[in-house]
Amino acid sequence: MTDLERARTRNTGLGGLIVKIAVLGGLDAIAVFLAAVLVGRGDYTVAGLVIVGAIILTVIYLSERFIPAKYIGPGLVFLAIFQVFVIGYTVYIAFTNYSTGHILTQDQAVEALLSQSQSRLPDSPSYPLMVVESGTQLSFLVTAPDGTALLGDAENPLKPVDATFDDGQAVAVDGYTSLRFADILGRQDEVSSLAVPLSDSAADGSLRTLDGRTAYEYTSSLSFDSTTGVLTDTTTGESYRDGGEGSFVGEDGTEILPGWQVNVGLDNFTRAVSEPSIRGPLVYVTAWTIAFAAISVGIIFALGLLMALLFNDPSMRGRTAYRIVMVLPYAFPAFLGAMVWSGMLSQSFGFINQVVLGGASIPWLTDPTLAKVAVLMVNLWLGFPYMFLVATGALQAIPGEVREAARMDGTSRWQMLRHIELPLLLISMAPILIATFAFNFNNFNVIYLVTGGGPRDTGAGIPVGHTDILISMVYKVAFTGQNRDYGLASAFSIIIFIVVAAISIISFRRTKTLEEIS
Amino acid sequence: MLMTKKSIAVGALLAVGLLTTGCSASSDTPTASATSAAPDTTATSTLTVWVDAERADALAQAATDYEAQTGISVDIVARDNSTLKDDFIQQASSGSGPDIVMGAHDWLGELTTNGVVAPLELGDKAADFLPVALDASTYDGVVYELPYAVENLAMLRNADLVPEPAANFDDMIAKGTAAGVEFPFVVEQGENGNPYHLYPFQTAFGAPVFGRDDSGSYDPTQLTLGDGAAFAQWLGTQGNNGAKTMSTEITGDIAKEKFTTGQAAFWLTGPWNVNAAVEAGINVAVDAIPSPGSEAAQPFAGVKGFFVNQYSENKVAANDFLVNYLGTVDVQVALFESGGVLPALTAAADQVSSDPIIAGFKAAGMDAVPMPAIPAMGRVWEFWGIAEAGVLNGEDPDATWLQLTTDVQSAIDGS
Amino acid sequence: MSTHDSTATRLERSPRGRKAKRHVWRHIIALVLSAYALLPLLYVVSASLNPTGTLTGSNRLFRVVGLDSYRRLLASDQFPFLTWFKNSLIIGVTTAVLSVFLGALAAYAFSRMRFRGRRTGLLTIVLVQMFPQLLAVVAIFLLLSRIGDLVPAIGLNTQAGLICVYLGAALGVNTYLMYGYFNTVPSEIDEAARVDGAGHFRIFFTIILRLVAPILAVVGLLSFITSMNDFVIASVILIDPERQTLAVGLYRMVSNPNYADWSAFAAGAVMASVPVVALFLFLQKYIVGGLTAGSSK
Repeated sequence: MTDLERARTRNTGLGGLIVKIAVLGGLDAIAVFLAAVLVGRGDYTVAGLVIVGAIILTVIYLSERFIPAKYIGPGLVFLAIFQVFVIGYTVYIAFTNYSTGHILTQDQAVEALLSQSQSRLPDSPSYPLMVVESGTQLSFLVTAPDGTALLGDAENPLKPVDATFDDGQAVAVDGYTSLRFADILGRQDEVSSLAVPLSDSAADGSLRTLDGRTAYEYTSSLSFDSTTGVLTDTTTGESYRDGGEGSFVGEDGTEILPGWQVNVGLDNFTRAVSEPSIRGPLVYVTAWTIAFAAISVGIIFALGLLMALLFNDPSMRGRTAYRIVMVLPYAFPAFLGAMVWSGMLSQSFGFINQVVLGGASIPWLTDPTLAKVAVLMVNLWLGFPYMFLVATGALQAIPGEVREAARMDGTSRWQMLRHIELPLLLISMAPILIATFAFNFNNFNVIYLVTGGGPRDTGAGIPVGHTDILISMVYKVAFTGQNRDYGLASAFSIIIFIVVAAISIISFRRTKTLEEIS
Repeated sequence: MLMTKKSIAVGALLAVGLLTTGCSASSDTPTASATSAAPDTTATSTLTVWVDAERADALAQAATDYEAQTGISVDIVARDNSTLKDDFIQQASSGSGPDIVMGAHDWLGELTTNGVVAPLELGDKAADFLPVALDASTYDGVVYELPYAVENLAMLRNADLVPEPAANFDDMIAKGTAAGVEFPFVVEQGENGNPYHLYPFQTAFGAPVFGRDDSGSYDPTQLTLGDGAAFAQWLGTQGNNGAKTMSTEITGDIAKEKFTTGQAAFWLTGPWNVNAAVEAGINVAVDAIPSPGSEAAQPFAGVKGFFVNQYSENKVAANDFLVNYLGTVDVQVALFESGGVLPALTAAADQVSSDPIIAGFKAAGMDAVPMPAIPAMGRVWEFWGIAEAGVLNGEDPDATWLQLTTDVQSAIDGS
Repeated sequence: MSTHDSTATRLERSPRGRKAKRHVWRHIIALVLSAYALLPLLYVVSASLNPTGTLTGSNRLFRVVGLDSYRRLLASDQFPFLTWFKNSLIIGVTTAVLSVFLGALAAYAFSRMRFRGRRTGLLTIVLVQMFPQLLAVVAIFLLLSRIGDLVPAIGLNTQAGLICVYLGAALGVNTYLMYGYFNTVPSEIDEAARVDGAGHFRIFFTIILRLVAPILAVVGLLSFITSMNDFVIASVILIDPERQTLAVGLYRMVSNPNYADWSAFAAGAVMASVPVVALFLFLQKYIVGGLTAGSSK
């Protein structure tokens, strides 16, 4: 620790101090400003977070201690805001019923239901319309089919009135100002929600306009009483109440959609593990997912390492050219590569069968086992450049002296590889391998684009296939047809994360012992 | 020495912080109140329209013209086609959604279930649209869509190889074989099948997917898919175990390649592929789809149009723009010129039908039926293609079709 | 390098001859692997040269050779390819540089300093990045929407916002990679520098960074490639076509399979791979240890 103390005293000259103060001052000023704006909008929690964050950062950089924090801080800030938030949001959604039919708030749902229940009377004529106002109250001045002018507003039904006509349409009435179209634009919500009763009897319907120029007769089949919270169907008399699960439910249990988003506790999680149609395929899909990820890591590492070693000899010519070629697959969008492979693996028309294998008819994509092989082959193609790059870089970390010493001892190339280079590489690359495992555990793209998860398991109740991994199965279960069940998908995501994290932590523990030796 | 430095630093920091905050705070309050003030009283408005990236150009001119006429500016935002629907549903109620979104009629089930689409009033204009367009734009008796194009499959024919249209399916195969090409007929399938393309053949055997109720809407309780046993039988005779006129090996790319290089005489596809064939030098003729069964082959019709966001604050302007402007002949023809799909407005459709290819699609579309937009349809798609692929690959048609019907029915019942 | 021997047998047995033989099998393996790597890319190039062809419809590659698609793409109004190119480069380079910097800072701390939670911290950072990003699209949209309300400069539809999101992933496996490499730099070097009077930041910036150049170059390249190829997040954040990146723009060209222009798309993909190759060429001398030839450590 004495080194650090010495470092501390010599760390910041006056110039550095001024820069530090200026930057921190600016940061704090921004933070206070943002917090003020947030408080102005009533967002106290976020304002609090901003203030706390600013205080922490200021303390870290002002103090002479917390040196590691100074270095890790900036990256952590981005991690916390952009990555951790995503996780937090997913967790939040997992506890709600956010899905098709439940994406609105309750008020919005009511608004939508009422709006959808407006139906135009089949033989309603069209009434040329002029919106007029008196004070701030809007009224409709319409021209009836027989040419007379009628006036009415939300409370007062249509009554004949004397009006000035222009080309057969009533355009003005004494005591009212006629609104031009441009004026209507400022109050569109009011205009489109205004319903003028046709007569004193509500059953006759009312006039509404959707475009501000013409009005039609409408009846509404739903009405909502905001005090009791009861939705009533005016045609059948049935009433619907809040069923507690985010929608209106009738007396016989029928649910009306759209509903709204509510918290459902652990519902999604229990459904994820206990839904009968999922339970069956779940076992073999999980097994294949683990196998796919593990084998992928194995072969990608092997090939990438092989190439790195191959081109590590300085006396070999053309290495740069080869290296560029090996990096190329990584330079193209992954989905393009996957799609081309999918085409090349076609049983009757694909390049592999027709050209490389001279007219064979191997069902690469339609046989359950071969499809797995195909997917691994494509994943290898997509992944080896990454491992090649990383291994090339990591190989440079092996000090030249070690190699020299070994060579002088007479070690053969193969022995050097096996006993010196490989162990050192495995230690430094172990986390990469574990992370690659985790990445391939959730590698939705490759599966989806090459085989679509197929070939289909026709016996299962859900559209799952033999190359589906957990994440693609979740996608198919949660996002099928017109249904998007974000709550269920989130719950699944969390479960998958727990599984992957557990495997990763165990792997880390086991490779940690290796690390301590070096 | 450390202590002094630190205290100076803290002091300076506080000073800087307070100073800047003081300045910003005083300018802050007006901003805060401005955002909570009543909507401004100036009379201009902006309509935000989300469109498929392909159509953005076609609408740009219409937007400028509309603005010149009414002063309402129209902001065309080009979005990615594959996420357009989901993005709209999620963002519609959030305040950052558009006022108008471009889409297809089969979205209506999902849009209404999620409560994000507002009714549209076509008024007297309703009669000016092609009947199938109006039919598709209506859901549960309410009109929600302003249609601009009607898309359906038709049979493309290489007129140099086969000068005359075919009378029925068998005649078509005979003519194609007589022309001496490797593939008398191609249709896009794929390993998971493609029921959309095979639907005209299914209806030719009298088995539409759903029946209709009294108001003319598709009725989810009437799953008529089960009537398709005859269709399944016939399909089995065309697949790997039979005449091999269709195969799951044929992808869209392969079908296109075969027709555009003159190796196929007939191609069942949609208007989107016409350009490729014409540019490749094929003498393309468009016919109605020859029927393999006792009834006419009725393809699905996809009606493209515009929807109004329920939570838009500019519903009046949106309605005006759609009904009174996009629903006019000139704009519909302009959209046609960019997309090549038959316009939905009858007058516009007649105007562009002087082109024999478009006239061919129109003729093929005479019998077209709208794709069902009801949520139950989503269940059908899950199992339908796989079943048809199975039949083509040689599985027992009766058993497969029965399994399909049972699976779909239980999925509908369970949801 | 001239040789004095003239007989064939002596040539074979000479060091140079043995090396040549050893390299022959290297070249054979390398060529086979090259074929494996290049095969699908041949399809892409072939499709880009065939203006009316399909991507995977035919096995007769290079049947038609013409530069029409390239011209069509570069001149297109609908697809502002060069703008996308510029945007991608800006975002890619900025992300790469900042990612490397942030990661190196953290790796230095983990490697050189001993503090509580060091090992757990490193492990946690790697674990956090393993979370399935199924809902990332929705979450990031909401997040940037809110941030944009406060600070419009880094909100939705801004490149700065996108870069910030990418930097959220800066601390991850790459940090561990750098940490491992940092560990191989002996601490005696730090000692020596400290004796000379340098503070920890100066040591980091002027000495250590240069010694770990290979791994910085690797991480920089990987970071650049990742941000160039990402389209999920970029398509959520960047809405105006003028601000979009290559990946988003290209993907949009083919997202509707009925209207996909595969030839122009292939041409775009070929042109989009050029910066990556160029960057690799530029960085590769660092990657294979240009400045740290063994003994200078």
